[in-house]
Amino acid sequence: MVHSTGETRQQLPPEEPPGTGAQAHGPVPVGTPAVRPAFDTEHPPSAALIGDCVHCGFCLPTCPTYTLWGEEMDSPRGRIDLMKAGLEGAPLSDTMVQHFDACLGCMACVTACPSGVQYDELIEATRVQVERHHQRPAGQRALRAAIFALFPYKRRLRAMRGPLRAYQASGLSGMLRRSKVLDRLAPTLAAMEALAPPLERREKLPERVPAVGQRRAVVGMLTGCVQGEFFPAVNAATARVLAAEGCDVLIPRRQGCCGALSVHNGRQEEAERFARATVDAFERAGVQTVVVNAAGCGSSMKEYADLLADDPAYAERAARFAASVRDVSELLAELGTVAPRHPVDMTVAYHDACHLAHAQGVRAQPRALLREIPGLQLREIADPEICCGSAGIWNVLNPEPARELGDRKARTIADTGAELLVTANPGCLMQVASSLERQGTRIGLAHTVEVLDASIRGIPVRGLGIQR
Amino acid sequence: MAPTGDTVSLDAARTALSGACDDVREATAADAVDGVPASLVARPASTAEVGEVLRAAAGHELAVVPRGRGTKSTWGRAPERADLVVDLSRMSAVLDHAAGDLVVETQAGALLADVQAVVGTAGQRLALDEPVPGSSIGGTLATNSSGPGRLAVGTARDLLIGVTVVRADGVVARAGGRVVKNVAGYDLGKLVIGSFGTLAVVTEAVFRLHPVAPARQWVTVGVDSAGRAQELAQRVVHSQLVPAAVEVDWPGDGDGGAGSLGVLLEGTPAGVETRTAALTGLLGGGTAAGTAPAGWGRYPWDDDGVTGRATALKATVALSGVAGALDAGRRAATDAGTTLSWRGSAGAGVLYGALPATAGPDAVAAVLGPLRAACAAAGGALVVLDAAPEVEAAVDTWGPVPAIDLMRRVKERFDPERRLAPGRFVGGI
Amino acid sequence: MSVTHGTTTTAGPVPGDTPPEATSATGDAHRHSAGIEAVGRVARAVLPVTGVLSDPTQLRTYECDGLAHYRVTPALVVLPETTEQLAAVVRACAAHGVPFVARGSGTGLSGGALPRADGVLVVTSRMRTIREVRRADQRAVVEPGVINLAVTRAVTGEGYYYAPDPSSQQICSIGGNLAENSGGAHCLKYGFTSNHVLGAELVTPQGDVVALGGLAPDSPGYDLLGTVVGSEGTLGIATTAVVRLVRLPEEVRTLLVGFRSTDDAGAATSAIIGAGIVPAAIEMMDALAIEAAEAAVHCDYPAGAGAVLVIELDGAAVEVEHEYAQVERFCTEHGAFELRPATDAAERALIWKGRKSAFAAVGRISPDYIVQDGVIPRTALPEVLRAIAELSSSSGVRVANVFHAGDGNLHPLVLFDDAQPGAGKAAEQVSGAILDLCINHGGSITGEHGVGVDKAAYMPRMFSDDDLDTMQLVRCAFDPDGISNPGKLFPTPRLCGEVPGKRKHAHPLVEAGLADAF
Ligand SMILES: Cc1cc2nc3c(=O)[nH]c(=O)nc-3n(C[C@H](O)[C@H](O)[C@H](O)COP(=O)(O)OP(=O)(O)OC[C@H]3O[C@@H](n4cnc5c(N)ncnc54)[C@H](O)[C@@H]3O)c2cc1C
Ligand code: SF4
Ligand code: SF4
Repeated sequence: MVHSTGETRQQLPPEEPPGTGAQAHGPVPVGTPAVRPAFDTEHPPSAALIGDCVHCGFCLPTCPTYTLWGEEMDSPRGRIDLMKAGLEGAPLSDTMVQHFDACLGCMACVTACPSGVQYDELIEATRVQVERHHQRPAGQRALRAAIFALFPYKRRLRAMRGPLRAYQASGLSGMLRRSKVLDRLAPTLAAMEALAPPLERREKLPERVPAVGQRRAVVGMLTGCVQGEFFPAVNAATARVLAAEGCDVLIPRRQGCCGALSVHNGRQEEAERFARATVDAFERAGVQTVVVNAAGCGSSMKEYADLLADDPAYAERAARFAASVRDVSELLAELGTVAPRHPVDMTVAYHDACHLAHAQGVRAQPRALLREIPGLQLREIADPEICCGSAGIWNVLNPEPARELGDRKARTIADTGAELLVTANPGCLMQVASSLERQGTRIGLAHTVEVLDASIRGIPVRGLGIQR
Repeated sequence: MAPTGDTVSLDAARTALSGACDDVREATAADAVDGVPASLVARPASTAEVGEVLRAAAGHELAVVPRGRGTKSTWGRAPERADLVVDLSRMSAVLDHAAGDLVVETQAGALLADVQAVVGTAGQRLALDEPVPGSSIGGTLATNSSGPGRLAVGTARDLLIGVTVVRADGVVARAGGRVVKNVAGYDLGKLVIGSFGTLAVVTEAVFRLHPVAPARQWVTVGVDSAGRAQELAQRVVHSQLVPAAVEVDWPGDGDGGAGSLGVLLEGTPAGVETRTAALTGLLGGGTAAGTAPAGWGRYPWDDDGVTGRATALKATVALSGVAGALDAGRRAATDAGTTLSWRGSAGAGVLYGALPATAGPDAVAAVLGPLRAACAAAGGALVVLDAAPEVEAAVDTWGPVPAIDLMRRVKERFDPERRLAPGRFVGGI
Repeated sequence: MSVTHGTTTTAGPVPGDTPPEATSATGDAHRHSAGIEAVGRVARAVLPVTGVLSDPTQLRTYECDGLAHYRVTPALVVLPETTEQLAAVVRACAAHGVPFVARGSGTGLSGGALPRADGVLVVTSRMRTIREVRRADQRAVVEPGVINLAVTRAVTGEGYYYAPDPSSQQICSIGGNLAENSGGAHCLKYGFTSNHVLGAELVTPQGDVVALGGLAPDSPGYDLLGTVVGSEGTLGIATTAVVRLVRLPEEVRTLLVGFRSTDDAGAATSAIIGAGIVPAAIEMMDALAIEAAEAAVHCDYPAGAGAVLVIELDGAAVEVEHEYAQVERFCTEHGAFELRPATDAAERALIWKGRKSAFAAVGRISPDYIVQDGVIPRTALPEVLRAIAELSSSSGVRVANVFHAGDGNLHPLVLFDDAQPGAGKAAEQVSGAILDLCINHGGSITGEHGVGVDKAAYMPRMFSDDDLDTMQLVRCAFDPDGISNPGKLFPTPRLCGEVPGKRKHAHPLVEAGLADAF
């Protein structure tokens, strides 16, 4: 009956403890003293945050790896135990790393935790330590290198476009090709390619889109790497919707990757580099608010303050910047909508992107915006808190469980009977699309702003896979 | 066989018992247990005395049969021996009624009716039906008897929250307590319910109580087949009308298929009225009345007109198997040249059947076979609660019992010498 | 494989053939290492590779349940997927005298699933199939690892639900519920797990598979099921449960009521129950508990309340209507300053979220705390609450109160900061004194969390030696070697010994012709 941060609390009757061995005890190092402990002293996962965990298990049912495997060490509670073991001196064994790596970073556990455990901070700190101290097998290292050489760079992504060009991609070394890394990447790239519009249909965005009617705000807009390359229509729709709702939209040309993938994978320095560049780009544009339409990007940009806290030149600016970041649905909800809506007679299932729902707590706003549209019927997907298995690059690194999660999600989506699936993250769209296809469900896919855009303009929704 | 005991040892036992309890007498024919003559009767006045009595009995290796008021002493199999009847009729006090806590504490020899009278003064009731009038608390627990009300409030296992028992070796033990919610320790109460006195003698019991509903209404509708009875019962249990009881009554002497389904609604006067209207709609008719239909809450073998010692059956089934069991029993009875009257909870899947005294061992056996199979197929069981000695001798009273080995082991631990109602219970326990 | 690795307990040397039950509560890692090896071999032969864990890193994550200050690393963890696999492991344990402990979701609050350093932890989290939903029979047949809430979710579409609803229902398992006889807010009207589990398949401590109860009620023979429910895993491992499904009520009204004090709220509760109303739930939270829940889930409870009641009425619409009017009146008469009925499902959910998150939420207002679980007769509520308040003010230890007011099940949360010297000790004293209060008022030391390892030493305060000895007769019948979750529930084990030999000669009275062996 004791919940305690330390492990020395016990509630025993005065006379006699129940059995000699069951008493509380201090930390006992696991492993032989010769072994190097898991973490160094530079920002290890915080003992205080770990101590907030009361071991209630409320986070377990929302954790995708726990629902898949039913194992404690692949649950948030178990991973926190492992971090604690690490702090107490246990070595960073392959097993331990494997369980940290298996975490999707979906942050469903953060939402679920009544005790307010900041698992997001814990796992990020842990990942940095893992990157620093753990040597992965060569194949894995190559795959990770390839991913980080590709995704955060728009130009390289563009070079990958077109099924043939993927294999001739410049900028990737022959070593990578030899290691069959591209074979692992190929399915993902193929999925992206299948969904993306043909190159010639890309809409170019101007640097400034003026507000329609009375100006109510001036906002900067992040275009994102994957979003920008593979889903340019989403960016175009975002700009139009914002303008229609009275925003001057500034789209700095020289923006790069926000660093989301890097920060979620423990690549601290790389992440910091991207973050500084992003802060610079939007500071130059001089906007009060930065609008994002990709959930993963938004969540990492809101955390710049922590990321750059140790950088005296950027700490304060990063904090200011982070406070100015809004998801597009969040901003629209704050502003209140004014542009008239035309009916969209469709049944729509809304899928919560983890980095929007769990990391940013944005759940009600997109639903409210969709409900405002006349004729649109909103359906809820069962187990909305469970990740679809995309999780940044997790599906590339863990294809099998990712497929299983995707298939589960596809089934619950199909159960809604909706004609259109709406979500706010490119990764989710791709992941769910391939599962839906595998299972033979025909359903349209669109980003929230695409539906809003269609409604405002009075045109049919132009999502993906919609029979036009 | 070693010629040890004789009247001398009986005298010695009697002396020892008299030291334990001031009311010990020689048994009469009326004290026989299901045809088995008893030798001695002790009427202890307290739990401590029961302990003393059982210790003395243990010292003299007496087989002990506890008795409340003897209304169901013929149920189960006849004991192998009944040297000593421990009669609890002197322990008939309702010890404490904590009205605010909806709890009553009573001695085991108390009449169920007396308990109801006490708690009734506060508008409360012990939600145990009394199918056999004159039953004591202890006897009700030991036989786990129940009636129509079990549908909504359950049976003794759902109401007993504390129990005091005396073991075969005379040790007094308590389990549970006086609060409704309590998970400290094993629930020994559950173990003694329905144990037919073979594990320990229950001396005191604590029950949770329910408020008496201000209004009751019975709706009865005729059914012409078992299938129809089940269909209507299903409609009622799947409705949101919150029935307090759903009973089927299907007398064997009626013409072919005529029976009825009776539903009890309890609540506020206005609420019951509205629900009654909804219910008759659901049933496609029916007669509503403020009093119970004839035979309500009585076992069919106790009905007027039943003469001699009928064979009493208890059939349990999953709800979807109600019609199957009713029909299987009926058909088998017809084939065996006899009749079977059914009555019981179609909403809970507990049905009581009566075969007339005229049905001899062969006829009863011919009914048991197919009926037992039907009950088993419906996830339940069939037991012969009571029967004439010649029938009882010829049939398998309890039928197959899945966890019998474990039950034997429990019995061995509680009563290693097999002195408590030996042979009365399942598997010869 | 090293079974001593990561062992965090020290038990004294144990004489050769004492049963595990008679050793320490947690076992001695050295004693059974050969046995563990043997069980491990069997487990690896019958289970999938991922179903047997012996890596110390992985074992470590199983060292405690929801009562995290008792920690013991198990020697082996198995995750069976079928009854056969589970039974094979238990049989191997029996053959080698290796103790085993069942674990469901590990949310228990009494250390019931605390492993043995010399034993096997049998985890049911991969036995998660709802085998059958039998609507016509109002039953479901489920595997033990099935999450409580999953049963309800599987049947709401058919108009049914599973009634016992512990606050942990989103994650606790049916097997764990069965073992603890778990209750919930709604057990005031609908009863506990024991009223809703009608059948089970049990793997006995010998590894035999037996059926107890079933789809139909009143199965012949002793009600072993009734004894197994609530036995905290000491009589074997349940591998299937047949549970009752309850029809969703036509109407549900949830009402949040703000009072100035717990006295007022308690008086309102008494008035409601006294009027013969049986609400589906009446839950009370005091100011401190409200503060915690507010911090955790922003449940928006009435500001400035000294206590709130969450009252739920359900049943036939006409009846609920009537009761609701009465409840409103009783609350107002007893000083309620705000009555807030939920107007839709979302509001109802938010009201309950505040209540159901309360335990874990206390972590937001206090670095450390003890969750107590005691029961008193409901009428003693005002007196006991005042006594707790006095205890709190005289010791300076803050106590937040959350409880099932309808049935007198208290959950005082004793707050402290372990960083302050002596604070832990003081909190323990207060917590223990609260249990004494419960016992002195004729109550119980646990209403739903179980005895486990945590309260075993308190059992003698509630029960005599003879009571405990009699309970252990059951234990000896099921598990004479004491290998099923040894060290839990009972303060001192009973050495079972052989069953005394049966009488061989005929009874004297029979011989004398005075009685007839029928
Ligand atoms: C925040 C919180 C709130 C809670 N609220 C409530 C509440 O409102 N009401 C309540 O009653 N409890 C409550 N609990 C306690 C706990 O959730 C229950 O006791 C629950 O039943 C435990 O289930 P589990 O699956 O986690 O079991 P575990 O903790 O894994 O095990 C509990 C016990 O059951 C045994 N066991 C597990 N599975 C089996 C099996 N298949 N066969 C035999 N034995 C088995 C274990 O050996 C152990 O003794 C709460 C706990 C927490 C953390
Ligand atoms: S972030 Fe997601 S995958 Fe990782 S532990 Fe939390 S819930 Fe599980
Ligand atoms: S919900 Fe929070 S406190 Fe509970 S186990 Fe998970 S992380 Fe720990």
